[in-house]
Amino acid sequence: QFQNRNFRVSNGVSKEHPMGNGLAAMGACTLEKSGGKMKIQPFWDGALGSDLTSTQSVRTGSIDMVLTSTAPVVSIVPALGVFDLPFLFNTAAEADQLLDGKVGDWFSAKMPAVGLVNLAWWENGFRHTTNSKRPITKVEDFEGVKMRVMQNNVYLDTFKTLGSNAVPMAFTEVYSALETRTVDGQENPFTNIENMKFYEVQKYLTLSKHAYSPTLVLFSKKVWDGLSEQEHAVLKECAVVGRAEQRRANRAMEAKSVDNLRGKGMAVNEISPAETARIREKTKVIYERHAKAIGDEPIALVTEELKRIRGQ
Amino acid sequence: MDRVFKAIEAVLAALLLGMVLMVFGNVLLRYAFNSGIQVSEELSRFFFIWLTFIGAIVAMREGAHLGMDALVSKLGRRGKLVCLALCQGLTLLCCFMMFRGTWVQHEINATTAAPVTGLPMIWVFGVSYLTAGAIGLMALRTLWRIATGRIRDDELVAVSESEEAPHGTPVEAKA
Amino acid sequence: MTIAVFTFSLLGAMLLGLPIAFALLVCGAALMVAQGQIDTTILSQKLIEGADSFPLLAIPFFMLAGELMNAGGISKRIVNVALAWVGHLRGGLGFVAIFASVMMAAISGSAAADAAAIGALLIPMMRRAGYDVPRSAGLIAAGGVIAPVIPPSIGLIVFGVIANVSIGKLFLAGIFPGILMGLSLLVAWQWVARRDKVAVLPRQSMAQRGRAAVDGIWALLMPLGIIGGLKFGIFTPTEAGVVACVYAFILGAFVYRELPLRQLYPLLVSAAKSTAVVVFLIAAALVSAWLITTSEVPQQVSAMLQPFMFNKIVLMFVIMVIVVIVGTALDFAPTLMILTPVLMPVIKEAGIDPVYFGVLFIMNNAIGLITPPVGIVLNVMCGVAKISMGELMKGLWPFLWAELIVLFLLVLFPDLVLVPLRWLS
Ligand code: NA
Ligand code: NA
Repeated sequence: QFQNRNFRVSNGVSKEHPMGNGLAAMGACTLEKSGGKMKIQPFWDGALGSDLTSTQSVRTGSIDMVLTSTAPVVSIVPALGVFDLPFLFNTAAEADQLLDGKVGDWFSAKMPAVGLVNLAWWENGFRHTTNSKRPITKVEDFEGVKMRVMQNNVYLDTFKTLGSNAVPMAFTEVYSALETRTVDGQENPFTNIENMKFYEVQKYLTLSKHAYSPTLVLFSKKVWDGLSEQEHAVLKECAVVGRAEQRRANRAMEAKSVDNLRGKGMAVNEISPAETARIREKTKVIYERHAKAIGDEPIALVTEELKRIRGQ
Repeated sequence: MDRVFKAIEAVLAALLLGMVLMVFGNVLLRYAFNSGIQVSEELSRFFFIWLTFIGAIVAMREGAHLGMDALVSKLGRRGKLVCLALCQGLTLLCCFMMFRGTWVQHEINATTAAPVTGLPMIWVFGVSYLTAGAIGLMALRTLWRIATGRIRDDELVAVSESEEAPHGTPVEAKA
Repeated sequence: MTIAVFTFSLLGAMLLGLPIAFALLVCGAALMVAQGQIDTTILSQKLIEGADSFPLLAIPFFMLAGELMNAGGISKRIVNVALAWVGHLRGGLGFVAIFASVMMAAISGSAAADAAAIGALLIPMMRRAGYDVPRSAGLIAAGGVIAPVIPPSIGLIVFGVIANVSIGKLFLAGIFPGILMGLSLLVAWQWVARRDKVAVLPRQSMAQRGRAAVDGIWALLMPLGIIGGLKFGIFTPTEAGVVACVYAFILGAFVYRELPLRQLYPLLVSAAKSTAVVVFLIAAALVSAWLITTSEVPQQVSAMLQPFMFNKIVLMFVIMVIVVIVGTALDFAPTLMILTPVLMPVIKEAGIDPVYFGVLFIMNNAIGLITPPVGIVLNVMCGVAKISMGELMKGLWPFLWAELIVLFLLVLFPDLVLVPLRWLS
């Protein structure tokens, strides 16, 4: 029941990113399980377009698959905005449990209506803050820092609420903006901080863990509907095989990143639990302010499930 | 028709002025008040897209799009007519694909909101309807005039040789 | 196979006289047919996406700034300062032209507009003083093409956007090579103008020189402001464009009072139209670039270039020769749009610094503006100097060679680009 297939996959990141490990594992798996018929062909560095535009192409079937963090897809499925909320997850284990369970399925179930099939949840990881002004140890340190954030209303509002001057800016412009001090800081997962060489132009790295960014493995529903059930099963299984490898590689890299970045001359600091609690308190308003745009149901689902996981 | 294009020119000027004001405004605000208008990055990009795709219609009418006339200019009237007809056919094909692609993706863009302004993205992508429609009509009209033998000699080559058109250069340069 | 489809569909459509933007769309459609997947949404979506980039906003801004500078009397004052200080030397008007070209290059991005503005001011003077007119026009044409190399530069911005390379770095990297081009013209001019019997202009008094300098000070400060602003992070390259517009407008309208407010409207319209032409081409190039990527044309090109891959300098040399040849027949923007997506993967694979490549690629494209048969700066200079293309070419050769020698020196010694870049950043 397998036909010769070549699935084109768009990635915004470069080949060296742990997404590469995940896709390689997934591709090896599909090849093996389909008797050498189902190939995965990745394109890197946004060669096929940005995450959002590639997702649109996946919806029309021009591209077969895209790996994208949830943030750009909020434009299409507002409920995903819940993952932009600050300090939602405390640990990766929590995120895994929630996303791989019934709440993750609830979000995946929303995707076919917009022409997408989510095969699994991979990860971009926890996001941290870098800047060139000072180490951020307490909420007041955010004040007056010009922060580049993603073009996303929740992120903009979060950093504005913390007292920073939040500047939306395209990712590709960030390095030179940091270099020339047009902005003072930015926030991203370790892998981006390393791959984009932000350490060359930033002094302070604060392990703020202010957001955990999950990655969607989105397949085109249009293409999906033309595949056999066995092919569906192989893709789903192999996306989970890829997930294990991708998360493993990402976490191994995160563990090494702090030392690497320190070695490159960055001053690394954590925020004490007491201060984190203060920051959390200050960003509570974000949850209420964006509840309407995101929807009450997804927020309630996620927060209830997290309470359950944390045994509260 | 000239009046329509005069009005379009005014739109182009307004879009450009709007971009200048928004981007410069943000530089000023950043230094004077350490703040910024968050919609300005997104909205100025949209202005830019509208300017480009509306301007492309005007450029088509004025024969200002860049091209090579090295071969065509060496042909006789008959050869030029054949080339012109082929070009109009290909232009029509491109416009058809542009229009149809936008149509196929209409729903997808209509239900996607711009991240900051929340504007449905069809307001941006839909400008293709205008561009493809207008340029396609121009191509049809030219084909009609070729068929009925009404094309003038000076209309036979419809491109300009360089992007660095010496706008605003002294009078001598234009001689 | 796909590379043949790519080449023939693109060249064929262009030779028919189809605008290059549409030829790129036709090429995209042909590659779709070759891939067996005709998908109109690729065309419509990538076309809009190609224009959807904040850094590209610098294009209308620098176009408008250029118009404002010429209309507001800024270009004229830069020439006046040079005249007052070096006009009396033997061959002095040539030095004036070179100095003005480099200064104008640092505030404008357009080779044709710079050459036209300087030519219109200087060629009548050079003619009266007994200079050989084709040679003078050749010098000014060659001086004009420094504009895209020294920042601000639309070419460097577009390259940065397509190749995903830091525009700030490209800008800083272009400064020294641009100055080298100016120096090469200086050497070539001294060598060819040695035997000329030309009337020497009277030396101006210190008072006159002072007046010209004071009158031109705000114009002369403009390049410092733009480069300094970029270097010290006061603004991004895109914002530099808008700052240049506002500065040129204030200078022209309120300081020099040569730019009446009602003249703003035609300048806006003109800049908007030039922008639409260039950006529509960029947008169309993204459509074909997408299909070039999915058809793996770069891999095929890279396989063809494999024999030269053993050495970065040899590879650069081969690529630069190819670009010079393409540049004779194609002007700046089309070469840039068509070749960047094809060449960048090769450059990355070979481990060549993309900033270094970008500067040389842009310099090569700029020189293409003065290589016959197709070169807009040549057409403009023929108009300004009222000479034929043949006459102009006779005057131009030494300067064209001088700039080509600079280009190939940079190929042989990459440090000429990279070391000054390290100093500046
Ligand atoms: Na320049
Ligand atoms: Na040329």
